[in-house]
Amino acid sequence: MRPLTARGAGLVLVAPALVVLAAVTAFPALWVIWLSLQRRVPIFDIAEFVGLRNYVFLVADPRFWSAARVTLIFTVVSVGLELVLGLGVALALAGQRRGLRVGIALLLLAWALPAVVTAKLFEWLYNPAAGLVNYLLGGVQLNWLGDPTLALPGLIIADVWRTMPFVALLCLARLRGIPAEVYEAAHVDGAGLLATLFRITLPLCRQILLIAVLFRTLDALRAFDLMFVLTGGGPAGTTETLTVYAYRSLFQTLHLGLGSAIGVVVFALVMVVAWGYLRALGREGIAA
Amino acid sequence: MRRERGRLRDGLVLVGLAAYALPFFWQALTSLKPEAELMVLPPLLPSRLTLEHYRVVLERSVMVRAMVNSLGVGAITTVLALTLGLGAAYAFARFAVPGKRFLLLLIVAGTAFPQIATVSPLFLIMRALELRDTWLGLILANASFALPLVIWLLAGFLSEVPVQLEEAAAVDGAGRLRTFWWVILPLVAPGLASAALLTFLFSWNEFLFAYTFTATEASRTVPVALALFPGVFEVPWGDIAAASMLASLPPLVLVIALQRFLLRGLLAGALRE
Amino acid sequence: MVAARPRAHRRIRGVTRLTGVCLLAAGLGVVLLLAGCTDRGGPSGPVTIVFKHAKLLGPVDPMPPLLAEFEATHPGIRVKAEALPWSSDEQRQFLVINLEGGNPGFDVMMLDCIWVPEFARAGWILDLTDRLAPGELDSHFPAAAAAARFRGRDWALPWFMNVGLLYYRADLLAKYGLRVPQTQAEMAAAIRRVRAGERNPRLEGYLWQGKQYEGLVVNALEGFWAAGTDVLGDDGRAFPDPGRAAGALAFLRGLIEQGLSPRWVTAADEEITRRAFGQGEAVFLRSWPYAADLFELPDSPVRGKVGLAPLPRHDLGTPAPGSTGGSHLAVTRATRHPEAALALVRFLTSERAQRVMAETGAVKPSRPALYHDPALVRAFPSLPRIHDLTLAGRPRPVTPVYVMLSTVLQPELSAALVGVRSPERSVARARRQLDFMLAGLEG
Repeated sequence: MRPLTARGAGLVLVAPALVVLAAVTAFPALWVIWLSLQRRVPIFDIAEFVGLRNYVFLVADPRFWSAARVTLIFTVVSVGLELVLGLGVALALAGQRRGLRVGIALLLLAWALPAVVTAKLFEWLYNPAAGLVNYLLGGVQLNWLGDPTLALPGLIIADVWRTMPFVALLCLARLRGIPAEVYEAAHVDGAGLLATLFRITLPLCRQILLIAVLFRTLDALRAFDLMFVLTGGGPAGTTETLTVYAYRSLFQTLHLGLGSAIGVVVFALVMVVAWGYLRALGREGIAA
Repeated sequence: MRRERGRLRDGLVLVGLAAYALPFFWQALTSLKPEAELMVLPPLLPSRLTLEHYRVVLERSVMVRAMVNSLGVGAITTVLALTLGLGAAYAFARFAVPGKRFLLLLIVAGTAFPQIATVSPLFLIMRALELRDTWLGLILANASFALPLVIWLLAGFLSEVPVQLEEAAAVDGAGRLRTFWWVILPLVAPGLASAALLTFLFSWNEFLFAYTFTATEASRTVPVALALFPGVFEVPWGDIAAASMLASLPPLVLVIALQRFLLRGLLAGALRE
Repeated sequence: MVAARPRAHRRIRGVTRLTGVCLLAAGLGVVLLLAGCTDRGGPSGPVTIVFKHAKLLGPVDPMPPLLAEFEATHPGIRVKAEALPWSSDEQRQFLVINLEGGNPGFDVMMLDCIWVPEFARAGWILDLTDRLAPGELDSHFPAAAAAARFRGRDWALPWFMNVGLLYYRADLLAKYGLRVPQTQAEMAAAIRRVRAGERNPRLEGYLWQGKQYEGLVVNALEGFWAAGTDVLGDDGRAFPDPGRAAGALAFLRGLIEQGLSPRWVTAADEEITRRAFGQGEAVFLRSWPYAADLFELPDSPVRGKVGLAPLPRHDLGTPAPGSTGGSHLAVTRATRHPEAALALVRFLTSERAQRVMAETGAVKPSRPALYHDPALVRAFPSLPRIHDLTLAGRPRPVTPVYVMLSTVLQPELSAALVGVRSPERSVARARRQLDFMLAGLEG
């Protein structure tokens, strides 16, 4: 075999991937920052450097802060619900003797669907006249997607439905890894159900729960497909997250500079949150 | 008695999960409901099942073409990501690549990049290179999240393969390439399957880039076709339901049939953190 | 090591299978890629032009026979018609992304008249001035022709025309001895009188479009005009008189608060309101002319009971014009077949095609002459009335920044209507955003 040096071979193997990544990930990540410092309106042939003007506008822009608030509420509530529900489902499935694969398959149904399909699904479910939700609630005429107080909860429900299986499966994997002796010992010691849950199960799952929260938080901050197709950010901007605001600025008003600035804000937010979580995980003693 | 209670409990859990998947089943039912019975709700079940919505969707052939596009883009993205990613992951795992830690960190960070941030530069790049409305454009855009994911997963799977195996093979006189092909690859194959499955799935479900970078049915993928479903004046719920079912078919089949690989991939990604 | 060997042999089958699958997938991919390549841009043969349009409202779709006739009379040209999503905003988003991104893939498109100046300014549509006969635009309504012009050049041909007007239940008004309301106050009084008399809880008062989309801006604009102000001042600045604009918004919000309009009006678009009125569930409706024919269909519950009138004024001294609207047909600048595309545009906007479209109902022509055509008037007696209302109508600001204006306004107007924010605050917020967005953009 030709004596390729270890370093040379390594570089050769890595190079193609790095080239592609540089072109479609790294370079755009840098370019978007540069774009955010410009006032760029292609329809009017405007492309000029304006420094931090877009950011100055955003700082005082009520719509930006509304979007930030919506993003925050969406993230916190969604992730919280997913965590609780996911752990619950995992606990239920952990003791499953028969039909585990069927159970997981039913769970995976919700997770595997494209977000657009889920959006259309829930749009139909929330239909005021012929939707299943209103029917199951006793024939009320709630206008889920048109009422400013109901739209965000409706969106959150749809998102939790879609992503809870991920958390559940993570927890399930962890739970099934806990040897039965641990529970037997607890039972022998006289621990009741709740005590077992809080003193044994949760601490053992702590690591996986933190990881699940990390993944889900990052995903929720970046979420776009569901809200864009389900509500478009309406009504009255009550479901307009930062991502939707950015997209509208970019491709509806074609203010590429402003839209890029909002995108950079989301970018920074995601990176800060990721870094914070990783530090917390590191302190927990989880090897990277 | 205990066994029966266990079975009852198992059954209840399954019923609960079936209820959880109700939205999906409701959509499936809607796709089979006759048009006239769609907008009236007290009768939950239709008087008869009909395939007219599917016929409308298939005959209109936008959906069919969209599925071909999604299949093609997904398959090629997967192959591309796996090929490039495997090489890179192997290099990271076995070779002393200069700046390895830094590069790995960047790549892992790449899995967290928000698409909304990179969409505007990519839009300008696509426009300049005239890659809009082409498969290649979508494949490259998908690579931006597929490659980091694959490298990260495969690096993890590869690190589980003990170096001693390769050393043993070398002692046996096998060259590097043969070692890789006959020793490493078989061991990593399940991991490759997991990575491939996840990549294809994410590529199929991808919406933001596809919505922005496709124009006509030459490249429009399934999620975009569904989002742009033409309505006349009122929304054709039955047709949309049928289109949704068709759009979900490949991911569902893959995910349920290859459950094992999917779980392995998901967990590997998480547990390695 | 000995243990590794048999395991490796077992796995070899696995990896061979995996490799086979990968190669198959790659091969399939290559085949599909090639299939994709050859599908687009065929070799020599008939010229195919792609026509993007929204499905036309109405009982019968006039497009297929018209396009077939075009192909028959223009051998060598094939037309591929593709439908756009129903919502005007979604249509525009689709067109914008594709036109700005280059390589749009379509040749002729239906444009809402408010998009024409923007698309012309952006350089996305073909300058038709030199290809049109002099005065070709003059056979259309002046408002439509004005919307097709930008900086002295012609960019599109008008296709059909719209104007905002008031529908009323003539039977109910007659029953209570009420005349057609001339002012908003009269209309409110009429609603109260009729509802007190009918005692039907399902009978609503005044229906209009309050959903967060372009239609809301139309309704709001009509309110601003009735109040004597506008959304753009002469200096190009937004909201020259914010106080009056807020007042007009407050009036709309007041309609909902006082129960004169149902709460769901804030999620209603043209079709939702049209259906409700068509079921006899309202006394007044603000909408476009297309609804008139649908109300006169044989099985319509309100057949023969509906009248048309100008929108009610705020005060008798200030006119309350309806907003004109409609669609134009334009050719993309990137088209490879400009002559064929223009031929299609000319055909579809010709008197013959517009007559066919008017005959199948629901779409009103952009040529005034057709409104007095005896055959058409016999079939649709409301045509002359609509003609006069159209002439009295007022176009939305004809400027390339209009859509930007509208997209910024929509969420703010919606917030005021649903009560999330006060009208003053909404107008102030909209003004601030617009000042930033419109700075330095010439009209």
